[in-house]
Amino acid sequence: MKTIDDFVDLVQDEIGLDVTAQDVGRTFDELPGWDSVHLLALLAALERTTGRRIAMTDVLEAASLESIYRLAVSA
Amino acid sequence: MTAPEREIRIVSVGTELPGEPVDNAALARFLGMDTLWEQWVDAFIGTRSRHMATDLATGELRHSLADLCAAAGRRALAAAGLESGPGPGPGDGSSPADGAAVDLVVLGTATPDQLMPATVNMVAERLGVNDVSTFQLQSGCTGAIQALDVAHQLLLAGRHETALVLGGDVCTRIYDVTTDFAALPPAELVNAALFGDGAGAAVLTARPGQGGIAIRHVLTRLTGLGRPPGQVLEWFTRSDRGSDRPAASEDYKAIEASVPVLAGEIVDELLDTLEWKVDELDYLLPPQLSGRMTARIVEHLGLDGPREISCVERTGNNGNALPFLQLERLLELATTGDRAAVVAVESSKWIKGGLAVERL
Repeated sequence: MKTIDDFVDLVQDEIGLDVTAQDVGRTFDELPGWDSVHLLALLAALERTTGRRIAMTDVLEAASLESIYRLAVSA
Repeated sequence: MTAPEREIRIVSVGTELPGEPVDNAALARFLGMDTLWEQWVDAFIGTRSRHMATDLATGELRHSLADLCAAAGRRALAAAGLESGPGPGPGDGSSPADGAAVDLVVLGTATPDQLMPATVNMVAERLGVNDVSTFQLQSGCTGAIQALDVAHQLLLAGRHETALVLGGDVCTRIYDVTTDFAALPPAELVNAALFGDGAGAAVLTARPGQGGIAIRHVLTRLTGLGRPPGQVLEWFTRSDRGSDRPAASEDYKAIEASVPVLAGEIVDELLDTLEWKVDELDYLLPPQLSGRMTARIVEHLGLDGPREISCVERTGNNGNALPFLQLERLLELATTGDRAAVVAVESSKWIKGGLAVERL
């Protein structure tokens, strides 16, 4: 996973949420269908893809998918 | 001129939680889940521990629902000064079955030990109770309120004097320890984090006396016409036990959206019916879905005055047992004249449950 587009593909494929690159900056409250179960699935998928785990304490601060992406590529 | 209504009192409450509390780390190990899942449960389910009738080492069921209900019932009877009888076996008949002081037994559960005999009657057997009316309700999260409603109405009608009301669930019997939990969809895994096992009991009486808490109003109402169930628990027979449909599933989005709203309607109706002002409410016993969901419900209700009594964070969601665990605490905390509202919502086919009580 090198780009935000790769990340969007992963969100679509792994958690089945129909998001676009335009949606990643939206807060989770504004993201249709989003919930904490999706978050768990996304974190597990990111760990499988990158081989690294994002700290839950950081995840709790994240307000959008874009924030999660930044955590994933900086982890 | 009509005769004044009998006052029905809850004179005692007893509860039983199997084994030691199982924290999220121990549950994650049992299910073969990693620390990511454990941290997610901590943060987003908000339930810290639960009690399980299942042995974590072997996956075997150590306690039946009848075991848990009998233990809770025995405690409630003892606290009411009505010692339970010895039951059948050696020594039977040498002393009177004092449990006979109860002339009505009602049990609410979603997870009976067997379809027949009804678990309520096996509990009666353990308590040495016989020659009385017994009823069992197939019920979910409003089951305790429904069981209390049935007992309350039968006592009000004068047909019975003293009831033992029970509620309990062994939710963890649904687990198949051979399942690869890590391969389950997250929505199914949520159930494993939410639920626990336990039982509760209360002795209700129409006899005049001191102490306990008076039941002022009970509300139970099906509100699910035309709505798909929010929670489904399957049972399997010899012919369909190979079916791959999940044993338990829930529409957690519908639950998150609806339960806070229904809880608000229940509180409003209890207060309106009794003409109680919101600032006259001393305790709130809200629905116990999970630590996080209960906090959301309480926030939605926005009641500043009443003190909250919750237990789900440490007991897990053990269904029909929950209001008894909360009422047990209420009996400890409340002083004469204190008023409390118990609120329960069943998301299976959407049922409202409410109970208004006053400490005597």
